[in-house]
Amino acid sequence: MSPKVIIVPCSGIGKTYGTVSREAAYEVIEDLRPETAQLVALSMLVMGEENACAAVAANPAITIDGCKLACATKMVQESGGEVAQEFAVLDVYRRYRQFKPNGIAELNEGGLQLAHALAEEVSAVIDNLQGGEEDA
Amino acid sequence: MPNLPQKKVGIVACSGEEMAEGTVTRLAALKVLEELRPDDTVTICLPLFLAGGEGDRAFARFYPTIAVDGCELRCAARATEQYSGKPAASVVVTDIVAGRGMGQPAGLRRLNEAGQQAVAETAVTIADLVDSLLDKKWSRREGHFIEAEEQQSKVAGCACGSGIPVQTVQINGAAVTLIALPPLLEQFKQMGKRPSPETTAELLEQVKIYNPVPAADETAYLQMLDHEYATLWGELEPTL
Repeated sequence: MSPKVIIVPCSGIGKTYGTVSREAAYEVIEDLRPETAQLVALSMLVMGEENACAAVAANPAITIDGCKLACATKMVQESGGEVAQEFAVLDVYRRYRQFKPNGIAELNEGGLQLAHALAEEVSAVIDNLQGGEEDA
Repeated sequence: MPNLPQKKVGIVACSGEEMAEGTVTRLAALKVLEELRPDDTVTICLPLFLAGGEGDRAFARFYPTIAVDGCELRCAARATEQYSGKPAASVVVTDIVAGRGMGQPAGLRRLNEAGQQAVAETAVTIADLVDSLLDKKWSRREGHFIEAEEQQSKVAGCACGSGIPVQTVQINGAAVTLIALPPLLEQFKQMGKRPSPETTAELLEQVKIYNPVPAADETAYLQMLDHEYATLWGELEPTL
């Protein structure tokens, strides 16, 4: 069994894209790849929490950033982790313009669909990192 | 006064994505920011204290800040204090839940009823703290509350804006980041104040409202301000 892939979403609370990043991450770890993906909270990395840093140092990480500041990607790198793939929600939206996200506390239907599309892309990357162990 | 943000309270939520209480912090903060105290609060993403710039790290010194944490690790409170400034107040969701005998929040994406109740209780707690903090005088220069005695001697009121404008300058060969310098320079120019020793001295007094200026460095600050202001007027080439 390959090591789990770490998923680190944006922790922003002020923008829709942050919520999309989190929704996608939750869908991956709860529904799509619960056996092969593990979520690490950004706040833990900010504080250098031992278990969180050890997890990103020992496993490939996929980051999902809500804005160009790319906090998730930067924090994984700062914590000694390797970013196997970084996603920016805006870039994903450009590929799925039919899913226009809105809402922060609660996403609209477009936001949920965009999060789902993103979650599928993340899952595909996980499968590649795991050597194609799971079907997409 | 320059066009700086009005007095507001900063809210920093841990947003811990791994636990339901983290979701509670996020939604409670959002409820305060959007519904309960929209005109009196601002927020910043916790990781920006590390991943952002000097303006982000100035957040908790500029605004009296409430840290909202999901658990006893208190990442928001500790990170704010470590990288920005000591929070003026701190809220921990697990304490609120235990203290009020509430049910256990559950559900990362969709909170259960207990989680939603925790959001409501936490939001009200934060809003009460906002009201309390707005009644006190906050020193943006020192990053703490001003004692009653000090309040009589200095008033640092500001007009409305957003974000914390900063500029990094060279003082005695060292890089120093100054809060509010860009709008101060701009405002002086808009007021038609020509570069002169008197204008520079006046600028220094304004800079001192928002920044600590060691007495021994005042001459260096005057030289820097003289240069920056002349540059703004196009009388000098900008320095990098």
